[in-house]
Amino acid sequence: MISYPRSEAGEPASVQALVLGLGNAGVHLVDRLTMSGIAEAEFIALNTDAQSLASSITQTKIALGQKVTRGLGTGGDPEVGYEAAQESLGEIRSALEGAQIVFLCTGLGGGTGSGVAPVIAESAREAGAIVISIVTSPFSFEGKRRSAQAREGLAGVAEFSHAVLHFENDRMSELASPRAGIEETFSISDNFLGSAVISLLEILRGGAPLPVGLADVLSVLGGGSAAALFGRGEATGDNRAHEALERALKSPLLDRGRLLAESHAIISHISGPASLSFAEVAAIMRELGKHVADTAQLFLGVTTLRDTNSPVTVTLVGNYAAGDLDAQPVVEHHAERPAPRQRPTFAAPAPQHEETESAPAPRPRHTPAPVVEEPAPLFSDSTEEPAEEVPEAAPAPVPTPPPAARPVAAREHRAPAAPKPQPQPAGPPTAPKVKQETLQFESVARGRFEKSEPTIVEGEDLDVPTFLRMRGKTR
Amino acid sequence: MARSDILVGVEVGTSKVCAVVGETGREGTLRILGVGSAPSRGVRKGEIVDIAIATECVHDALADAETNSDAEIGSVSVAVTGSHIRSFNSRGAILIPSERFEIDEEDVSEVAVKAREVNIPTENAFLHSIIQHYYVDGQDGVLNPIGMVGRRLEADYHIIHGVKTRLQNTLRCIRENGVQLDEVVVNSLASAQAVLDQHQKDLGAVVIDMGGGVTDYIVYENGAVRHSGVLAVGGDHISNDISLGLRIPLTRAEKLKVEEGSTVLGQGTPGEMIVLKNDAGFSGKEVEREMLNTIIHARVREMFELIRKGIESEIPLHLLGAGVVLTGGCSLIKGIKDVAESVFDLPVSLAREAGVSGPKSVLNNPQYSTAIGLIKFTQALRAEEEDPGLFGSVLQKIGGIFRRKG
Repeated sequence: MISYPRSEAGEPASVQALVLGLGNAGVHLVDRLTMSGIAEAEFIALNTDAQSLASSITQTKIALGQKVTRGLGTGGDPEVGYEAAQESLGEIRSALEGAQIVFLCTGLGGGTGSGVAPVIAESAREAGAIVISIVTSPFSFEGKRRSAQAREGLAGVAEFSHAVLHFENDRMSELASPRAGIEETFSISDNFLGSAVISLLEILRGGAPLPVGLADVLSVLGGGSAAALFGRGEATGDNRAHEALERALKSPLLDRGRLLAESHAIISHISGPASLSFAEVAAIMRELGKHVADTAQLFLGVTTLRDTNSPVTVTLVGNYAAGDLDAQPVVEHHAERPAPRQRPTFAAPAPQHEETESAPAPRPRHTPAPVVEEPAPLFSDSTEEPAEEVPEAAPAPVPTPPPAARPVAAREHRAPAAPKPQPQPAGPPTAPKVKQETLQFESVARGRFEKSEPTIVEGEDLDVPTFLRMRGKTR
Repeated sequence: MARSDILVGVEVGTSKVCAVVGETGREGTLRILGVGSAPSRGVRKGEIVDIAIATECVHDALADAETNSDAEIGSVSVAVTGSHIRSFNSRGAILIPSERFEIDEEDVSEVAVKAREVNIPTENAFLHSIIQHYYVDGQDGVLNPIGMVGRRLEADYHIIHGVKTRLQNTLRCIRENGVQLDEVVVNSLASAQAVLDQHQKDLGAVVIDMGGGVTDYIVYENGAVRHSGVLAVGGDHISNDISLGLRIPLTRAEKLKVEEGSTVLGQGTPGEMIVLKNDAGFSGKEVEREMLNTIIHARVREMFELIRKGIESEIPLHLLGAGVVLTGGCSLIKGIKDVAESVFDLPVSLAREAGVSGPKSVLNNPQYSTAIGLIKFTQALRAEEEDPGLFGSVLQKIGGIFRRKG
């Protein structure tokens, strides 16, 4: 259970997840989730299009920019979307108040998705919430302009989000058969997104016996990479473990498991009835190990459910650097910027050392500059407070009786894309090994001089490139 | 002239073999008739690792030179280098027998022998003993002691030696091609003859010959060789660094170094990319210019810093008034002069062969300075031989480079 000290109430509530559906795609998604009946989350539909909102079954609705758009939508213009967001900023902020985890779901490319999403992400962050954005980028046939808008939107969202789960619709289309109707294809895509939200909620809800922490999720999804890997499979029966994994791997977003090899950090969450045996979990993980690169970090979470009839569900969430595919290089570039951004996450009075960090809170948009001078201690601050040391993490302000409370906010760092030294303790996840262009070859660094007589001067092998040796010294 | 007045210098380099054919005039002038070169194989870090292939390359270069110069090559001088070559300064001293006070040629050759009475590893052979200074009864800076009156004659020599067998390999490559050997000269010494004039040698100067496999350097002070050395790092290392750092094939790295390489940092547009076209077996790539330059800069700077340390252990840099002269193929890298200036804190110039006439394209190419220097060196030796009054003939056989008057 991830609980969160509420500022005044003081009761250990379960995680207050707020799922925001933004734009037409987002509203669809939220409707779908509402119908699926997830109790733990609160849903809000936001749109500039009044019609879409009117037909939504979601309880809370916010019509954005009624003056700017007159409830007619943005006409695909992110500028209009941005203005609309500014107009409704007050409303957005009050809706976000008190939220601890915000899932921002939207389809990028249109005016609302691309224009409003960054604003909401920023507000949510300012409100002290963990922001996890689940976004889709448009089909490529929807036009280059839309793709470009989506990229910009994604960059904006990524700047303020702690984690981004990005689905490329182009890949999603493989979910449906080629002859499937357009509506069917879209709805499958929506479904998929929905199951991603549900899965994430499930993962975050954690539970016995082997929870996956928020920090793990953030470390996997916050690597600044552009595209998400996601697969989910359910199965019952004798061979349920194997089949569930098979189905999860069949997800087109995993490219039949091939993309897992590219990923540097993967969460594998297994849930099942109490009859789920250790051998089954071990079998799943063994099988999975064949698809995962040796260097990748694997986070395993296992939840047992009370319902004895529930199927075994395997959920795989990972991220791979989009540069590996030619899909969206620009996005990758942008998405790196926000990575080391640090924000105070406690809206309520936080522990002192957190508070000091919160000084530069209202950062202007698009400021990559402070990124570099990120004070190193912050990392250690934020990571050296693992689940058990709650009294350390949340001392004074509220008399919170946290039984299994995780200081969620303390884990809010995002793994920076640059290979930056991170003073992290061994237990919690370290930064995922990011693929970088250069310098990983200490062992084979002599190149063409491999077989020739070494040139050793002052104890240094001069055949090894100078810049490599210099790097070694400065380290 | 003792033999022909056609002189040929051959350098068996790591990247190429080049042969320069020159014609000496009566007044000590030198005119380049033609050059020949062939890409070198079988040579690593200035030393031969595959003698059959290297011999072939030498043959190609000689044939090319003969064609270009329209001369027949009978004998050549050859430059040697390699990490095994060592140098040191040594002083010899003799007492002049009391029955005579005038120092004669025999005394001079005797003191040279004394100076060489030093321990070098048994597998090593002397390459050069180069006279630096004479002292007569403690009087400093004597240029020519013959005929002087004194009791005690001392001489400082700069001695260069190397491993016999490794030197033999280079010589065999030449002999296998049926040509005679005139002189065997260390690379740096030869290059210095081509790029330094007497004035610079007197003022004090460093010549750094940056070749493909090795970098040779030599320091002159007061007109004499003060220090010399070989650093087994060269242009190949730069290419190798680029290849490893940017992950491109070695041949492309080499090409990239020549075409785009520079040591200037922070001048280009940030994020400027160089597009490498695809090629057989290479799918093409974009590399960041700054990254390329950083790699080159790091290597070049390190090379200079190592050389500076070597020189500083012998002589304070500020005594070298004429500064640093860069030559060799690597000195063609853009901005290398600035790096050298910042490391040595001395004026740095790129080599221009002095006192030689011939095709401009050859003279302006620092890749040929060693071969041209070989000719000048041999020419100077020949001149000494014709004028045996200056020094004893024994000394000449040793292969010393002689202080020319004036």
